[in-house]
Amino acid sequence: MLHAEAWRPTIIPAPLSAISRRLPDPFERVFLQEYPKVVAIAYRVLADRSAAEDVAQEVFLKFHRSFSPDSERASGWLHAAAAHSALNVIRGERRRAQRETTHALDRSQAPAANPEHLVEEAERRREVQRALSGLPERSAAILMLRYSGLSYAEVATALGIRVGNVGTLLRRAEEALRKEVNRATSQ
Amino acid sequence: MRHLNDGTLRRILDEPLAMTAADQAHFDSCPECKSRFSSVANDARATATLLAVPGFDTDPTAAFSSVQARIKRDEAARPPRWYERWIDRSTPRLRPLATPAIAVLLAAVLISGVAVTGVAGQLVRVFEPSQIVAVQVSPSSIVGRNVLLDYGQITWLPAAPTAQPVADGATAHALSGLPVLMPASLPNGVSGPVTFAVVSHATGSLTFDAARLNASAAKAGVRVSPMPAAINGSTLVVSGGPALIEAWGLPGTGSQAQVPTLVIAQTRAPTVDSSGATTAQLEDYLLSQPGVPPDLAAQVKAIKDPSATLPIPIPKGLATTENIQLNGVQGLLIKSALGAGVVWVKNGVIYAVGGQLTSDQVVAIATSLH
Repeated sequence: MLHAEAWRPTIIPAPLSAISRRLPDPFERVFLQEYPKVVAIAYRVLADRSAAEDVAQEVFLKFHRSFSPDSERASGWLHAAAAHSALNVIRGERRRAQRETTHALDRSQAPAANPEHLVEEAERRREVQRALSGLPERSAAILMLRYSGLSYAEVATALGIRVGNVGTLLRRAEEALRKEVNRATSQ
Repeated sequence: MRHLNDGTLRRILDEPLAMTAADQAHFDSCPECKSRFSSVANDARATATLLAVPGFDTDPTAAFSSVQARIKRDEAARPPRWYERWIDRSTPRLRPLATPAIAVLLAAVLISGVAVTGVAGQLVRVFEPSQIVAVQVSPSSIVGRNVLLDYGQITWLPAAPTAQPVADGATAHALSGLPVLMPASLPNGVSGPVTFAVVSHATGSLTFDAARLNASAAKAGVRVSPMPAAINGSTLVVSGGPALIEAWGLPGTGSQAQVPTLVIAQTRAPTVDSSGATTAQLEDYLLSQPGVPPDLAAQVKAIKDPSATLPIPIPKGLATTENIQLNGVQGLLIKSALGAGVVWVKNGVIYAVGGQLTSDQVVAIATSLH
């Protein structure tokens, strides 16, 4: 049995267009702003474009699950996460990362590049990755962040240290990296 | 003056302007600092060579689309939170139309949110439950057939209903407008703090669109019967919620895997209004959709007053039901190996009490709510 009653919605006549209108999405804003830096940090150690993009995607997914994009800490967290995630890749899956490195260098070089040079480059990159993964986490991270173009202030924010200490830690990390590389090549 | 430390020397290599005037004056006149600076700079240059990588351009916009797609996939795959699972099982719930199209009709509760403009005057109420009935559903006949067909335009006003945990009973009451019901006493095995969740009120509409249905069926490789002219173009307006859910036996809102020992839920009975199709037309049409098992269709058709009866799907073989009198109305007692539950409708509100309890215990709780 139907109740033939007129239906009078007690709904505020909000324009329906308001629902579909695209509102500025804070996550998208943070993404577009920080993505190039996040990829650059991961790429600095992985030297492989698609591996770096994979790391960046994971970093942003984790960020999306766990943080408000409006957080003041967003940029610093993303930069630090990029460094730590990429380091985890070379530490945990060093063999895989090495294969990708060779592959990446193949693609990134001009076609006329000397094959011997490519092999040397791949070897050098493997050596640097090995040295980086042998450094204390913070030392490796500070190298990746700074050499990816972050300012001292950005590095300090990402690592939660005072900006006045960045120079000291960076200097120590550079010495440590040089020693690691020298130790390996002299063996 | 003391010599500049290594950190300062390292920084002025990158950011010379960061050097103070005093440091600058010392540096300019100190051969030792200059010599150390040159060594710092050499290390930095060597590091830059070691860490050099070929350049490439990023495409943040394309990367964003890809991340968004991942987020959508992950959210679809996310196990439902306890209150979402519970709502799905036990109360009519507003969710997108899917085959089994039990959906629409069965609960008619499915959709929410509307483009009411222009059709408000012509709407006829086709569903306003004042009683409930159990219908047997064979779980195997539904599992794996969850093809999503597009029956037409679904619109929400103001937005799709969401369930959110709230801190306490007072907040739950304020948000839902429903009284917080408490049992006179808790049976053995039920203890701990009570967790509250509120599902917002929402209104939604579905405007049937034969062309869209045919297109989505073709895409999914499903055969559908032609949509009758009476249905095509007509709009269903569904209004549901708010709902208030109280759960015991959850250590905290973070533990979503936990099954509560006792749940008390209430929701304003959903209503469905139609701009054209009648209850009988909708019933005939929806029950003939792919994914609706014939025995289920027969049970729903046997309901004498479908416009006022809320069918509760009961998994066949996993639970049994019994009609009982409680709180002055007829209720449905559901018994299974895992526990028991009771559902009743009174004064336009659907109530449900269930948990890992015996049927006597849930009835005792249901009759002692205050």
